[in-house]
Amino acid sequence: MAPNYIPPADAALIPQDCERGPLSCFALWLGALSVILLIGVYAAYLVLSRGLGMTALDDYFGFGLWITFDLGVIALGAGAFFTGLLRYILNIDPLKNVINLAVIIGFICYTGAMIVLVLDIGQPLRAWFGYWHANVHSMLTEVIFCITCYCIVLIIEYIPLILEQKQINRVPLFHAIAHNLHVVMPLFAGMGAFLSTFHQGSLGGMYGVLFGRPYAFRDGFFIWPWTFFLFILSAVASGPALTMLIAALMEKMTGRKLVSQDVKMLMGKIAGTMLLVYTVFKILDTGAWICGLAPSAGLTFDQFFYGWIYGKWLLFAEIALCGVLPCFMLCSASMRANPRLLYAAAVLDCTGVVINRYVLTVQTLAMPSMPFDQWATYVPNWVEWAPCFLVLAYGGILLSLSYRYLPVFPQEVELNGGQRPGSKPNTWGL
Amino acid sequence: MGFDRRAFLKIAAGASAGIMVTPVPWKLLDDVSIWSQNWSWIPVPARGASTYAEVFSKMDPFGVPMKIRKVGGLPVRVLPLPEHPLGGGLSPLSIAEVQMLYSPGRLRRPLLRGADGKLTEISWPQASKKLQDELKNAGGKAAFISGDETSSVTEVLSAFANALGSEDMYLMPSEAQSAAKAAELMGIDARLGYDIEQSDHLLAVGANILENWGTVLRNRRVFANSRPHSFRKDGGEETGDSLSLVYAGPVQNNTAAVAGAWLPVYPGTEGILALGMANMLIEAGKTVAARDFEEFKALASAYTPEKTAELTGVDGKKLEAEVARLLTAQKPLLIVGSSAGGGAGPIMAGVAVNALLGNINKPGGLVLLPKAAKVLKGASDLAEIYRNDLIKFFEREEKPALLLIHEANPAFALPNAQACAAALKAVPFKVCFSTFMDETAALCDLILPLGMGLERLDDVETPYGSGKIGYCISTAVGRPDAGVLNTANVILNIARRLGKDLGFELYADILKAKAGLYGKGGDPLAGGFAVESAERAEAGAFSFRPEVLGKALAPDEARGKLRLAVYGRASLGTDKTGIPPYNNKTLRADELAGSLMSVLLNRATAARNNLADGDKVSLESGGGKIVARVRVFEGIINDTAGVCRGFGHTALDEFSRDKGANVMEVVRPVPEPETGLNFWAKAGVDIKKA
Amino acid sequence: MSANKHFNVKWGMAIDLDKCTGCGACMVACQAENNLAPLADASNKQRVPNWLVVYELSNKKSFPDHEIAYLPRPCQQCAEQPCATVCPVVATERNEEGGIVSQIYPRCIGCRYCMAACPYHARCFNWFDPVWPKGMEKALTPDVSTRPRGVVEKCTFCHHRFMQAKDKVRAGGGEVYVRGTDNKLHCAVPEDGYVTSCAEVCPNGAIVFGDLNNPEHRVHRLVTGNANAFRLLERLGTDTAVYYISRREWVRRLGDNYLPDEDTQKPKQILPKRH
Repeated sequence: MAPNYIPPADAALIPQDCERGPLSCFALWLGALSVILLIGVYAAYLVLSRGLGMTALDDYFGFGLWITFDLGVIALGAGAFFTGLLRYILNIDPLKNVINLAVIIGFICYTGAMIVLVLDIGQPLRAWFGYWHANVHSMLTEVIFCITCYCIVLIIEYIPLILEQKQINRVPLFHAIAHNLHVVMPLFAGMGAFLSTFHQGSLGGMYGVLFGRPYAFRDGFFIWPWTFFLFILSAVASGPALTMLIAALMEKMTGRKLVSQDVKMLMGKIAGTMLLVYTVFKILDTGAWICGLAPSAGLTFDQFFYGWIYGKWLLFAEIALCGVLPCFMLCSASMRANPRLLYAAAVLDCTGVVINRYVLTVQTLAMPSMPFDQWATYVPNWVEWAPCFLVLAYGGILLSLSYRYLPVFPQEVELNGGQRPGSKPNTWGL
Repeated sequence: MGFDRRAFLKIAAGASAGIMVTPVPWKLLDDVSIWSQNWSWIPVPARGASTYAEVFSKMDPFGVPMKIRKVGGLPVRVLPLPEHPLGGGLSPLSIAEVQMLYSPGRLRRPLLRGADGKLTEISWPQASKKLQDELKNAGGKAAFISGDETSSVTEVLSAFANALGSEDMYLMPSEAQSAAKAAELMGIDARLGYDIEQSDHLLAVGANILENWGTVLRNRRVFANSRPHSFRKDGGEETGDSLSLVYAGPVQNNTAAVAGAWLPVYPGTEGILALGMANMLIEAGKTVAARDFEEFKALASAYTPEKTAELTGVDGKKLEAEVARLLTAQKPLLIVGSSAGGGAGPIMAGVAVNALLGNINKPGGLVLLPKAAKVLKGASDLAEIYRNDLIKFFEREEKPALLLIHEANPAFALPNAQACAAALKAVPFKVCFSTFMDETAALCDLILPLGMGLERLDDVETPYGSGKIGYCISTAVGRPDAGVLNTANVILNIARRLGKDLGFELYADILKAKAGLYGKGGDPLAGGFAVESAERAEAGAFSFRPEVLGKALAPDEARGKLRLAVYGRASLGTDKTGIPPYNNKTLRADELAGSLMSVLLNRATAARNNLADGDKVSLESGGGKIVARVRVFEGIINDTAGVCRGFGHTALDEFSRDKGANVMEVVRPVPEPETGLNFWAKAGVDIKKA
Repeated sequence: MSANKHFNVKWGMAIDLDKCTGCGACMVACQAENNLAPLADASNKQRVPNWLVVYELSNKKSFPDHEIAYLPRPCQQCAEQPCATVCPVVATERNEEGGIVSQIYPRCIGCRYCMAACPYHARCFNWFDPVWPKGMEKALTPDVSTRPRGVVEKCTFCHHRFMQAKDKVRAGGGEVYVRGTDNKLHCAVPEDGYVTSCAEVCPNGAIVFGDLNNPEHRVHRLVTGNANAFRLLERLGTDTAVYYISRREWVRRLGDNYLPDEDTQKPKQILPKRH
């Protein structure tokens, strides 16, 4: 502990041997996030009280920004299940240093997606019908089941971390629960991996089965269209990258070392490996789509694109710029060793997956399905953006609180131990 | 044992578990699906027994018989009445009539404009007294406009005008007026009718017969019956039609969409096309035993196929083909018309062609219908009223002391609409009987709420275009709004109090007498069903009147950069109704985007004027200006701008307001040489980017 | 919900595009019959609830060779539905004799997945609560419930009229399904006893409604072996119940997507499906 370190007012709650900024700075930061959150709450109020007509969605774009956002965060939140799988089932030990962070990010992503989904469905009071009147043929039913179940798994995974909070952990019962949960964590990691694989896949399947929408429709294996597998692969290729990026971002904001560089590089390597598998299959799938499915639907390649807004550049950006390029960068050990290149590759990787989710959601619907119909365009309005930022703000708040009060990063004490006082300014005061 | 924390937790846990095994949470959960369906602010349809009434639409001028379904005594649906001679299906306007009973634009109480210019509600007795006083003061200087040429109300108004010594009794300009003028000029003492039922080849020139010309439902039924659904076995034959239909006009409209061929011609050149065809028929050996046939022949000979093609824009080969079809058809029929403002000349040319085809008063031909019956001795014949030109009346310097308007919206419907509105404003006292707060009502000093067709007793006598004389009574269905009265009864009452005996006290008695004249059996006031008569009038001293025709149809100079083709859509309602509540949903995005309507230009025309699809443009003519968005549409003739009529209402309700612009603001009427009518089919406009 | 169920009775339409003038009467009748709310501004066509939309078709040629046609598009009542298979809550299914794809408003959660799935744009969403001008709710028909915001709705082939027609048969003491001359079960409702509102009001008789499986019904005779009859996006294999008829080749070609050199008459390749 640095000698000139003044413990903040809430020092009693802060993990042992961890340095944190003044409580006032922290409160200010939370306040800023809360403003964003409140704007989102107001947008949510508008939607719930007046109707979805407040958004820019319409009968052509029943799915829009919110579904893109949900699919994006769920894919990027895949770091939780995949890291868990590798850590607990495949025993890749170094990942224990990021598993807590991965779980928290996963939790934020999934609960955030659920918040947005509540707004997105027209009758939120009937959300439970998915269980009660389930249509087993619908990919969306599988999504509803797996996402809610996996959300429970994430809560179970998050609980021990909370119980390890310095003060809570003093209660013997909580200590015992936390300990025992840790013991059975491989079981939940396994369950999480199973559930998550299926709903990631089902989200992709949701689009692949749309046989009336040639942009999204795909052949497949048994009941699963190829998008089912592509979504799983793209999620595991981007989830670890996002976890690593957030760790790096938190280090930048707090000025403290949280995860060692070799662990980050390992995450990058995992992402790169998966991205390689994904990109290969994605290219094969795109080829089969253009050369096989499209002509059999009476469509030419050009008919899938329109103007700038739904232009071919999106396909190029998704597959080449944000697929092949980061794949190459992440698979190269020397590039991974350069933090800037590592982070840049991770950003590209995540962007590619978001573009994929966007085009499958929006371009699918924008394309005319009947020959006498026309391309439609969609630009989300603030009422749709605000709840997305609400989720980001909520995630920021949750991460900030977790970082400040919970032992999220096992390496933190060790990595910052030898540091001279004030050598690295904690600019954000967190 | 105290109530400690442990006990509390136990109770809470027990209660939670206990409630879960009761039906309460599950019932509540289940109820959610019911609540979320039946929120209190969402109206629930009322239930009751269904009853039906047969009526004839007073709102749709194109002849629409209908059956009203009532639930618990209140009308809820308009259904077709296929058994009626004019029936079969419904028009997009008539279907919405039940909804229009509750239109936000409805007038429900008499309104009087005070000295401050504001309108205040008054009672009917007050309104009636006020009208009586004003009429008494105006005397012979009162003028009358009726917008309903098929109703006996016009007869009542005419009788009253005559009783007051007023010569100013007008009908709104219509096809029937142009046709009446054409018949009169050609020495035909009858009304023109078209026996399309028995025709085997129909050439509609300018007449959008399947959308808004003549007895539309009947036209469409005849068309449907004549055309079996096509059936083709691979390599096999098509099924034949019993009536071939060709449409000639500037815009590929709803009729052209299903016609066997579309013959594009410039707007306002329909008469020249007919004259050119007459020439070719004469060349082919057709003659008519009329006193001025030779003179007509001489006139027509000037309209050689080349000249006709040049003047009308028609393709020479197509013209030849169409004339050949007229010659080979067994029962060909030519209908020349417009959506309004076409003038008498083209209709005369059309009569001439039909005469050459030898189909006058023949099955499937142009038929001459006896004049409308009259029961009020003091009333003028319809033909006499048609002679009065409303546009001239509005252009007159000297204004009447009082203007009474029944069911008409001249401030919106007449060409040069702003000038009409200004002329209207200059009249010291304007009173209107209107169902809706339309543009004209908004200018009036006394506004009297008139029941909708569904709420009043009225009649319909032979809508224009019909092939037979027909008479229908339309009765009120359901409970009429207490605030509305019938124009005729109000006028009959005032006439009596002013000491002018019109011979009847109640409108119902007039209709009973009229039903008797037409030979309607049973209860004379029973609604819906019609009496029909195939009675024909004599052709009389028919003559071609080439001296009139030649001048009326003479080509004249262009009035703008582009010719203006005004077309209509049934969905947009009438000038009086505006767009019915449901009907703005039937407009496509390329017809109305936001509040901007479209102007149709073909690609070549757009290119010549440096315009592209989607450009915002202004159309100007004679000081009038409207704004529209270019829609590049290849179904319009060169150098012509197509604008749909019926947009641009500034009054009425939110379903009509703020939608496009009123094309009549850039349409300028001109006197038709020799016929004494004003017409506006040859209007032109300047176009430029806005 | 499930794939291509066979029904003895398959209600369907044959819409003659050579008769349709595009007047819009069918659209207005549909709204009045099914209690849709009017909209003051209906110019954003992607937000306008219309169960039936009339499209304008163009042969894409320049003046004067240009031709137009109008195509009314109700719900196509697919036997192989893109929509019902994806609904997570079974709020829409084709599970009743007659083959009409239902829409259960109190069941619908408003996820709009069915709208994303339907290539015909037959489905619309209630973006707001429906509002009628004061008093106009008195003109609602008692046959169809009003819908709150947040649910999807679509054409039901005026299913309530089918119910009423069946009730009429039952009230007369008859069986609803009887064996026909072809020894198959047919609906005892007479051909004109159940007609959709759009078909009823069309002054041109462009819409013929009836049982596609009943050889005595006009619609059956019109579409069976008629090379001028086609369905929309047939190669998707949706097996729709709405046929279109046109003698114009360019109109028929607009019924599906074709590669530039593809022949309309060739047997179509049906896309594979899974459920």
